[in-house]
Amino acid sequence: MKLSVTHVFAVPNFSIWIKPSLVRNLHQSVCCYSLKSAPPTSLKPQIPLFLRPPTHTATLSDLKKWHEWAKSLASSVGTAFVDLDNGPDSSLLCRELKWLMEDVTKDRLLPCQIPSEKLQGNVGLRVSLEDLYRLWKQRIEERRPFQYIVGCEYWRDLVLCVEEGVLIPRPETEQIVDMVADVVSDNEGLRKGLWVDLGTGSGAIAIGIGKILNSWGRVIATDLSPLALAVAAFNVRRYDLQDIIELRQGSWFEPLKDSEGKLTGIISNPPYIPSSHISGLQAEVGRHEPVIALDGGVDGMDDLLHLCKGAASMLKPGGFFAFETNGEEQCKRLVDYLETDAGDSFLSVKIMPDFAGIHRFVTGFRK
Amino acid sequence: MESLVRPLYSSSTILSPKPTNSSVPLPIQLLPLKPISSTFSLSTKLPLPSRSTAYVLYATQESQVSEVESQVSEVVNNETREWAMQDFYSLRKDVETVSERVEEIRASAGLRQLEQELVALESKAADSSFWDDRARAQETLLALTDVKDKIKLLTEFKTKVEDAETIINLTEEMDSSIDSGLLEEANGIIKELNKAIDRFELTELLSGPYDKEGAVIFITAGAGGSDAQDWADMLLRMYVRWGEKQRYKTRVVEKSPGEGAGIKSATIEVEGRYAFGYLSGEKGTHRIVRQSPFNAKGLRQTSFSGVEVMPLLPEESLNVEIPEDDLDISFSRAGGKGGQNVNKVETAVRITHIPTGVTVRCTEERSQLANKIKALSRLKAKLLVIAEEQRASEIKQIRGDAVKAEWGQQIRNYIFHPYKLVKDVRTGSETSDIAAVMDGELEAFIKAYLKYKYSMAMSSPPSV
Repeated sequence: MKLSVTHVFAVPNFSIWIKPSLVRNLHQSVCCYSLKSAPPTSLKPQIPLFLRPPTHTATLSDLKKWHEWAKSLASSVGTAFVDLDNGPDSSLLCRELKWLMEDVTKDRLLPCQIPSEKLQGNVGLRVSLEDLYRLWKQRIEERRPFQYIVGCEYWRDLVLCVEEGVLIPRPETEQIVDMVADVVSDNEGLRKGLWVDLGTGSGAIAIGIGKILNSWGRVIATDLSPLALAVAAFNVRRYDLQDIIELRQGSWFEPLKDSEGKLTGIISNPPYIPSSHISGLQAEVGRHEPVIALDGGVDGMDDLLHLCKGAASMLKPGGFFAFETNGEEQCKRLVDYLETDAGDSFLSVKIMPDFAGIHRFVTGFRK
Repeated sequence: MESLVRPLYSSSTILSPKPTNSSVPLPIQLLPLKPISSTFSLSTKLPLPSRSTAYVLYATQESQVSEVESQVSEVVNNETREWAMQDFYSLRKDVETVSERVEEIRASAGLRQLEQELVALESKAADSSFWDDRARAQETLLALTDVKDKIKLLTEFKTKVEDAETIINLTEEMDSSIDSGLLEEANGIIKELNKAIDRFELTELLSGPYDKEGAVIFITAGAGGSDAQDWADMLLRMYVRWGEKQRYKTRVVEKSPGEGAGIKSATIEVEGRYAFGYLSGEKGTHRIVRQSPFNAKGLRQTSFSGVEVMPLLPEESLNVEIPEDDLDISFSRAGGKGGQNVNKVETAVRITHIPTGVTVRCTEERSQLANKIKALSRLKAKLLVIAEEQRASEIKQIRGDAVKAEWGQQIRNYIFHPYKLVKDVRTGSETSDIAAVMDGELEAFIKAYLKYKYSMAMSSPPSV
C-alpha cells in the first residue's frame, strides 16, 4: 500500500501540469507532500515538454509553417551571436530546432519527415502552436537556453529535467562520472561506500554515480537551493534511484555533519567563474542560468578551496575526491593547496584534462 | 511426329493454353525477400498438381489470359494438332533451357568446392576434441548443415531436371501410349525449378554475412561549394525515395545544411531485411555533370559526393574489441573556456581508427556519450565490413591504403548535360531515364552490381 501512495505523489497528474508555472505558484502557497528523498519543500519541478501529454493538435501545414518561420529566424542569426559572445550560430540553432520539434510532437517527428506534398492531417503536440511560436521567439530574441525551453538536457545516457534556477549540466562534467567509474572498478571498498555530490543542481553527477555504484553504495546529494533539490528529486525518481540517492538541503558540508570522516568519495562541480567574468558570459549562461551556481568569488576559487579544506576532515582514509575547475590556473592553485597547505592529507593528486584538452579536473585520495 | 502428338491431342483441354514464360527467369524482385529455405524440396513443399486439380488450375489461368491469347487459342482450336505439337516443342525447349541453367548454377555455386568443404567439416566434427570449444563446435555444425543443405538443393535441381528430361525423351521415343499427365508433370517441374533457381540465385547474391541487416548511409558533399552540396542533397533524396519504395523504414537521422544550398552531409538509417545487401554496392564517389544552377552563365559543372554504407548491426553482434590506443576520439569543442562558461549543443563525436585511417562521425544524438557510443558501433560495423571485403580474419589485418582507394572509388556518373545518362562505371549498366533514377529507381543498378560482384567472387581464387 505504501508503495502505491508514493507512486501517486511521484507521478504528477498531467492534466494539472500543462501550465506548470501556475501550478508552481499554487504549490508555493499550499504546503504539499514531499518526496521520500527530498527535503521538506513546497516546490514542484516543471514537466519537460517531452513528458507532457500530446493534448494539443495542429494541422501539418500549420506546423510546417511554424517550422519554416523558426528556421528562417534561426538562419537570420548567422554568426551574430558568435561574434557577440561566442554564442550559437545558425547551424546549432537549426539543430536545436530539430530537437524541439522532436520533443514537442507526439510521434517525435523530425522536420524532414513532414511530407512536402501531402499536408492534410493533424499532428499531436505537447504544447500549443501558439506556445511554440512564443518559445522559439524566446530562444532567439531573449537567448533563453534551449534546455530551459524544452525543459531537459541529454547528459551521458540520461535525460535530465532542468528549469530556470538550476544549472544545465555540461558535457565536460560527463567525464567526472567516468573517473568515478574508473576508481571503483577495481576497488570494492570504494564501490560500497558513501559518496557525496555537493551542489548537485539537477542531480546529474549524483545520478551518474548512483547508476555506477548500483545497489552497492549510497550517494548523498546536497544543494543550497530548494528548487534545485526538487528538480534533482524528480530526476532521481525518474531513474528509480531513490533508494540509493538521498537529497539534503544546505551549504556544502553543512548537512553532512553526521558523516565526518566517513565519506568514501566527494565529487563536486562548484561555482568557479570569477565574479568579474559573469557579465561577459555567453547570454544563455549569464542572463538565464543561476548566478549562485556560477559565481565562485573574486578569483572563482572560494568554493573550491572550501571544498578542499572540508575534504581533509570529511573523507575517510583512502577516500577519493574529484572537483571541476575553470581551467589550468585554478587546477594548479588547487594542487598547490592540496599538496602544501593541506598538510600531508592527500596523495596521488592529479590534474585531468577535459575532451577539449583544457585542464579541468583535480582528483586525488585521502591518505 | 504425328504419333507424338496424338496423345496430346486427346487431352488438349488440359494443355491449352500453355502458361507462358515458364522458362524466362522472373525478374529479380528487390522486396520482399525471404531467405531460401535450407530444406527446400521440390517434392515435399511444392507438390505437383494431381491431374484432377490440373483442370482447375488451367481453367483459372485460361480465364486470366489476355484477349490476344484467347484469340490465338481460338485459332489453335481449329488446328489442334499443330498447336499441341508446338506446345510440346516449346516444353522441350524449356526443359533444355532449364537444364542448362541447372548446369550453370551448379558450376557457379562451386559444387565441387562445396563437396570438399563438406568432407573437411565432417572430419572436423569427427575429431575427438571437437566439443572442447562448444561455441566453435556449434559454428562448425551450423556451417555443416548449411553446406549439406546447399548440396542437397543443387542435387535436387539436377534430379528434377533429369525427371523432366526423361519425360521428354520418353514422349519422343514412345508412340501412342503416353499419358499427357506426364507432360503436365514435366511442365510443373520446369516452372517450380525456375522459381527455385531464381530464389537460389538471389540468396547467393546476398549471402554476405551482413547482407540481411539494415543499413546506414552517410552522404558527404565533395569540394566545390553549393554545386556539390546541392548534389549531395539530390543523392539524399534519391536514397530516401529508394528506401520508401522498398517499404523500408527510412529515417534521415542527421542532416547538416550547406552554406548556400543543399547539405554538407547527411546520415540515413534504413531498417529492414537485406537493406545492407542491396545498398553495399552504392558506396563510393558519385559524379554529376550538369549546367550549374548556381552559376549565372549556366556553365557545365562537374561535382562529386561521397557515399558510405555500413550495416546497422545489433549491439551484440559487434563483439570486436578495439584497443583504446588505436582510437583517436575527438569531440566538437564549444570554444572559449568551456565548462560552466559555455552552453552550446555541440556534442558531435568523431572517431578515427588510427591503424586503418577509417573514420566515422556521429552528431545526431543529444549527448556526447550517446554520440560516442553510436560512433563507436558505426566504426566497428565499418571495420567488420572492410575486414570481410578484404577477406581479413581480423581487424588488425585490414590494409588501410586499400580502404582509401576502394571507398573513394568513383562508381557512377550522372550526366544531365549535354545529354542524359546514368552509367555505372563498374558494371557498365546505364539508362537515359535520369529522372527516374533520381526518384529512387535504382533496382537495375543494384541488381547489375550484385551480379557483377558475384561473378567477380566466383572467378577469383577461393579463399583458404
